[in-house]
Amino acid sequence: MLTAITRAFRTPDLRNKLLFTLGIIVLFRLGSVLPTPGVNTVNVQQCLKEAQAGDAANIYGMVQLFSGGALLKLSVFALGIMPYITSSIILQLLTVVIPRLEALKKEGQSGTAKITQYTRYLTIGLAVLQSTAFVALARTGQLFPNCRQPLLVNNDVFTVVTMVVVMTAGTSVIMWLGELVTDRGVGNGMSILIFTQVIAVFPSELLNIFRQNAFTFVIVMLVGVFMIAAVVFVEQAQRRVPVQYAKRMVGRRMYGGTSTYIPLKVNQAGIIPVIFASSLLYLPQLLVSLFGNSENPGPIVQWLAQNFVRGDHPVYMVTFFVLIIFFTYFYVSITFNPVEVADNMKKYGGFIPGIRPGRPTAEYLNYVLMRLTAPGSLYLGLISMVPIIALVVAGASQNFPFGGTSILIMVGVGLDTVKQIESQLQQRNYEGFLK
Amino acid sequence: MASIPRFMRNLLDRPGSANIGAYRRLAAQADGHEERIRALTELPRPRMDDLAEFCAIAREAAHRTLDMRPFDVQLVGALALLNGQVAEMATGEGKTLSGAIAAAGYALRGRRVHVMSVNDYLARRDAEWMGPLYEALGVSVGWIGQSSTREERREAYAKDVTYAPVSEIGFDVLRDRVATSPADLVVPEPSVALIDEADSVLVDEARVPLVLAGAADPGVDAPEAAVLVRRLSRGYHYELDDQGRNVFLTAKGTDAVEKALGGINLYESLDVLTQVNLALHAHALLTRDVDYLVRDGRIHLVNQSRGRVATLQRWPDGLQAAVEAKEALPASETGEILDSITIQGLIRRYPQICGMTGTAVAVEEQLREFYELKVAVIPSNKPCVRVDEPDRVYRTMADKERALAEEITRVHATGRPILVGTLDVSESERLADDLKAAGLDCVVLNAKNDAEEAAIIARAGERSAITVSTQMAGRGTDIRLGEGVAELGGLYVIGSGRHASSRLDDQLRGRAGRQGDPGGSVFLVSLEDALITQFAPEEPLPPAAGEDGLVRHKRAAYVVGHAQRVAEGTHLDIHRNTWRYTRLLERQRDLVLERRNKVLHGDAGAEALAAAAPERWAELTGEVGEAVLGEAARQIVLYHLDRCWTEHLGFMSDVREGIHLRALGHRLSPLDEFHREGVAAYRRLLEEVEKRSIEMFEGATITAEGLDALESGLKRPTATWTYLVQENPFGDAFDRALRRLSPRAKRRQDLDD
Repeated sequence: MLTAITRAFRTPDLRNKLLFTLGIIVLFRLGSVLPTPGVNTVNVQQCLKEAQAGDAANIYGMVQLFSGGALLKLSVFALGIMPYITSSIILQLLTVVIPRLEALKKEGQSGTAKITQYTRYLTIGLAVLQSTAFVALARTGQLFPNCRQPLLVNNDVFTVVTMVVVMTAGTSVIMWLGELVTDRGVGNGMSILIFTQVIAVFPSELLNIFRQNAFTFVIVMLVGVFMIAAVVFVEQAQRRVPVQYAKRMVGRRMYGGTSTYIPLKVNQAGIIPVIFASSLLYLPQLLVSLFGNSENPGPIVQWLAQNFVRGDHPVYMVTFFVLIIFFTYFYVSITFNPVEVADNMKKYGGFIPGIRPGRPTAEYLNYVLMRLTAPGSLYLGLISMVPIIALVVAGASQNFPFGGTSILIMVGVGLDTVKQIESQLQQRNYEGFLK
Repeated sequence: MASIPRFMRNLLDRPGSANIGAYRRLAAQADGHEERIRALTELPRPRMDDLAEFCAIAREAAHRTLDMRPFDVQLVGALALLNGQVAEMATGEGKTLSGAIAAAGYALRGRRVHVMSVNDYLARRDAEWMGPLYEALGVSVGWIGQSSTREERREAYAKDVTYAPVSEIGFDVLRDRVATSPADLVVPEPSVALIDEADSVLVDEARVPLVLAGAADPGVDAPEAAVLVRRLSRGYHYELDDQGRNVFLTAKGTDAVEKALGGINLYESLDVLTQVNLALHAHALLTRDVDYLVRDGRIHLVNQSRGRVATLQRWPDGLQAAVEAKEALPASETGEILDSITIQGLIRRYPQICGMTGTAVAVEEQLREFYELKVAVIPSNKPCVRVDEPDRVYRTMADKERALAEEITRVHATGRPILVGTLDVSESERLADDLKAAGLDCVVLNAKNDAEEAAIIARAGERSAITVSTQMAGRGTDIRLGEGVAELGGLYVIGSGRHASSRLDDQLRGRAGRQGDPGGSVFLVSLEDALITQFAPEEPLPPAAGEDGLVRHKRAAYVVGHAQRVAEGTHLDIHRNTWRYTRLLERQRDLVLERRNKVLHGDAGAEALAAAAPERWAELTGEVGEAVLGEAARQIVLYHLDRCWTEHLGFMSDVREGIHLRALGHRLSPLDEFHREGVAAYRRLLEEVEKRSIEMFEGATITAEGLDALESGLKRPTATWTYLVQENPFGDAFDRALRRLSPRAKRRQDLDD
């Protein structure tokens, strides 16, 4: 990988792309630490510090993770890339529901361009909503319920409006930055920016751990490196189901072997099951924080508070694990439809040697997929448990930085990007092969 | 910061459109020189640093030699071409003359110009027609046709300006790439390409690679499979996909075939299955007289986008044989693909590209994306007064055909000439029969030779003429109005259905209303037209029609437009995919050719073999001498370079066929995967060339007469021929397959684009 990158830097146009991407990342980070006008930065810092040491550190940690620390700092890029991602997901879902959008999508490039335009409008809409809600929370002090300091310099309507406008504008700039990376940089803009958000919190957290205890720091680093290696290993693992096409007379093959296959990954589901499971487990925590303060909490709330608020409680751990396994199967079954794939192969003359097209092929694919998903789901579950286990075993700080989600995102985007760089390198670097 | 205004203009301009203000000013300045130039008895050789004077001289030369005085707009067109843009000029505005002036301009700048046209007839006609003008400007001109000999070609390429069909230039390039002696080379270094009918050549034809094939083995007859599939019935034994592009066996069909073949397992015998699939494709998807004609015991493909016989096209080999078996014809010789080039690869060899056409704006984006060309819209000399009526949409095909006949009868009664554009050959014949039955005399234009066609279409503007043609018949020829026709309203163009691209519709419309003539056009569309059933099968159709079957609901126009946009999008995707997937191969080809040239023109082959097998080399040098041995080494290395390249192409087309499946393991982009495979195969290719060359050299029989090719196992193809691959019926399945795959893959594709 390192050689790939050094080689990439020696290829002029690829170097430009890489530098461009890095430049965008720098801009993105700059906007993430730049406070929105009207924010009392000193007080915000104070509250943030208190919150991270307090009871609800888990929740704040998650929020920090997904916004690269920008959200709770109330910065210009506070909303991050999330509104854009949300709106592109929404539009993708709507494309299935609304016939007019479906028709547009079918029209190819010109139609997709229109859909992209709608995505951008929706992003702005979401940004206005989110920033308004968020500024309102900050203004009334609900953002950090335990912190009594005022977060804004004053409570003028003008200040509030300015903040909303600035954050919305920030979101559109992020959207633009993302598209610029996709167009002129390396990798997919959205992914690169999420990647940036996720790793942005690492240095400060690692530094925190180091300050607390140097030994823990070494352990954390070792575990982290080991986990990254393990994740890379499993993410690359795939089962190749050979496919043949019987539509052309096959000429003499020079190299033998087959290069036509369906690559089924061990972790076909990616990171989504973990996100689903952790958001579902948020609900009890939310309920407890809403009703738990009352004088006489009901039995359900009490039970929830006992079992689901602390991450190291056995019930919580088992539930988390089971949910991840469930969602892995669930997500694989909705994203990889063996019947559809078999149908597609049948229509274009493809088949798995020895197996009839249509139903038998679908059944075979399903069989292979289910067997692969078993270790895949266990792997996802284990990786996600690591921070919790580490918590129990080593009594490390709540914010174990190499959480399952962040590692999966990191490795996923990292691998993608390196692969893309490699493939671009391959297209350019022929000189070496030619005498 | 003088670039700020330019930056702003670029920002506000529609991408791909060029500003023609400067050309208009130059053309106006040319008027100032006119008096002075006209007074000269002998025209001076134009200096190319003063374009206004050049225009004036060219104008006077055209006036004296051709008796045509170019209008200002024609000069504007020529200037746009000289500036490397695509000039959009309406039909009948005199593109040929503009092109000739521009070509002469480039030639006077010391460049060599290839004027590429769409067929032999136009290349020859334009070269001969414009000949006197070139001569007056001191520029030499030549032309090439399909039947030109090697000597004639070399002579034509030696001229300053060469007119040739784009495919002939491509084929010459391909043949040069497998030449075994420098004396056989024909095509000079590319310099300027001026493309006539640029949208057709650069966009429509660009989907179809030019191919050089060599005879390998006699064709494989597969009559059993043809007989077998004839017994199968649609819907029970086999089914078609929604768009009618693919056919596949059902489980019952598989049972029946396996039983008929003696109880084999079809999915364990690839060869048999392939034959059955191909036979089924030929049986169920290819229709005689629509997709192909049978004439003189041979299959002739019909080019759908031009509506004429494509003499040089074949289907990929297995399919060609299957169709021959279906028609009970003897199998023609099969070939293997030795080399291929896309139009794009061909055109981009030229450092300077420009072009002209009647419909460029619609493909502006593509011209910019694929060729970095800008479109200059040249205003017409006189405003166009043609009346384009809105489409008439009918519920059923029968309603449309009835209305079509009625409309023709009605208009014909007034004496107004009518040109009917139909979508395919069989439809044109059916319509002609109907009209004849109704007592109307008409001329049918389809799949004949270009020259005859041009003569017929030139008469289509006579009073009371009815001409029924397929899409592109007679492109490049004007329809002049006969006497008294202008008073009747000019030529009336009726389209019997919208084409797969709005440009083709516009081309058809553009037949009427040339140079300010009156004219009219209308399209009759039915909701059962192939365009709609193929590209918008799921769209809810508008509510019921009236008595006459005419649908008046406004949704009708939307559905038709939507179907056309889907078709255009599909074709654009195919084009883009062809380009993306061939770009790697063309880059590799360039590198192999670079190597090949060193062997062909130099002693790279000899040096390599001498270094690899010094003993053998020394021994043979003693026996036959340095010169003979050098030539033998050249032949050996060239042979293996060509041989391995052929195998490489075959391998890569196998890889491409199933590469879309890689998208299923998410995070894998099929294109990147294709590159990965391609690069690895390329490395092996070079190793293989070296290994095989040394092997052959060690065992070759080399005498004083040179290398004994047969003894040594060096067997080149006995014959080579060139053809265009018919738009690969399986190839674009690739793209469709890609789209249909899992939503994740779809999303990734969208994001990657």
